[in-house]
Amino acid sequence: MPAIPPGVADAPRAPFVTLSALWLVLTGTLCNLRCTHCLNASGPDEPWLAPLDGAVARRALTEAEALGVREVYFTGGEPFLHREILPLLETSLAMAATTVLTNGTVMTDALAGALAALAGASRYSLEIRVSLDAAEAEANDRVRGRGTWERALRTLRTLDARGLLPIVTATEIADGAGAYDRFRALLRGLGIAKPRVKILPVFPVGRAAGAPGVRLTDADLEGFDRTTLQCAETRVVAADGVYACPILAGLPGARLSDGALAAALGPAALYHEACATCHRTGATCRNA
Amino acid sequence: MSSHRGDVPERVSEHRRIAVLGGVYSNAEALAAVLADTRRRDAEAVFCLGDLGGFGAHPDRVFPLLREHDVRVVRGNYDEAVAAGAADCNCGYTDPRDNHYARLSYAYTVAHTSATNRAWLATLPGHRRARLGPHRVFMCHGSPRRINEFLWESTTPDGLLRRLLADHAADVLLCTHTGLKWRRALDGGAAHAVNVGAVGRPENDGTPDVWYALLTGGPELEVEFVSVAYDHEAAARALEAEGLPREFAETLRTGWWTTCLENLPARERARGRF
Repeated sequence: MPAIPPGVADAPRAPFVTLSALWLVLTGTLCNLRCTHCLNASGPDEPWLAPLDGAVARRALTEAEALGVREVYFTGGEPFLHREILPLLETSLAMAATTVLTNGTVMTDALAGALAALAGASRYSLEIRVSLDAAEAEANDRVRGRGTWERALRTLRTLDARGLLPIVTATEIADGAGAYDRFRALLRGLGIAKPRVKILPVFPVGRAAGAPGVRLTDADLEGFDRTTLQCAETRVVAADGVYACPILAGLPGARLSDGALAAALGPAALYHEACATCHRTGATCRNA
Repeated sequence: MSSHRGDVPERVSEHRRIAVLGGVYSNAEALAAVLADTRRRDAEAVFCLGDLGGFGAHPDRVFPLLREHDVRVVRGNYDEAVAAGAADCNCGYTDPRDNHYARLSYAYTVAHTSATNRAWLATLPGHRRARLGPHRVFMCHGSPRRINEFLWESTTPDGLLRRLLADHAADVLLCTHTGLKWRRALDGGAAHAVNVGAVGRPENDGTPDVWYALLTGGPELEVEFVSVAYDHEAAARALEAEGLPREFAETLRTGWWTTCLENLPARERARGRF
């Protein structure tokens, strides 16, 4: 196991309150794109964080259900590249609302139809979050790669036509202020009657990591309710262990256990620069 | 008497039939009609699960109605914020459009809620307990663990409900906060969860009527959702007269939500017009 980076032992802690959200890093860092700001530096090369074995994912779902989990998120990499995504979604949707975070470039009509069938058969909501970084093709493709804007828009139309009401998830990297209104206008222009947009800050991690930046101290958190942090209610299962934060999954300093969820229900170190961003912005990686 | 999270004993009222409503949202016209309806239906007690303010035109007209009908109120996130003079309503929105309308509503509500009523809001309990025959009932605003947690029908798993009920020594969980009603029986009817919906805003179903819940104890718990027609046109005109957003009046007239949409999960969002 890689060494724990300096600063973790002395970092302030977020308490564990309850398991509200379970994230599965389904494809690890395997992705067909190589976005310039990717939170975990995913790409098409040999992934530095391996895909999750289907049996491990199912065990985590079972464990999480017993712990009273509220919702489940599938992420990566690009989760639709996982060969077991549909049966895993079926398992997950049998127990809780489930969200898939996709780059929207590998969707097919057949896959959208299968997703609609799963959503229709479940008591719980299936949410598909499609990543875009700008409401204009050129600005988006500078970040996400040539042709990705067109492909993502086609996916949005396909999902909407199936009644799946996709959520566009964007960062502020390319579009800056006013991005929310521009995305809503874009979606309306596509004929999407119920536009759904979620904007996230850019976190200094993965390919967006810069020079070492500000880290949280206990003094910074004085008077702040740490139970409101996402990591107080979130656990993330990746191929190499369990984490408290989806964007820190795979980083040795963030690992809470090597396998079982039950062993990862203690406090989490707020040691990373991204923890300071989360604290400062109040961002939520959940849908709402 | 029973205890909840600590050694302080709390009062548990016992009833045969109760009416439970939520989300008044300053809609005094709707509240008056609902309370009159509960009288006709032989409810022994009326409970309100909070959020007295927000959205509507006459915050201060809600309080005399609650007192006149001896309504037992649980504190909502809105009540907590108004009582404390907080910067915002802590409604939990992440979307800038929702937050725009939420800010307008909140500022209006605070400005139109008297100091006396704000002080009363500060006295409201975070939860209440009751017994309906053999059923132990736990009443709260959002969820038993967080005042502003949204328990939507499509995002609230059975496993979570079982855990919340076990953690709070209850067989029946009653909540509101989402504005949409739903109910679920668990484990062959041994346990129940009921989101009573809201009386201050319609159901996002294309009709202006509002809803509350009637619960009757017995070996089997009976849950009935009751719809109430009221003078929604008067409430809409009052919003317009106060210069509040026309989207609010449109919601009251059409029954379709025009704001606070982004937190709706896909399943619930699909049912509405917008």
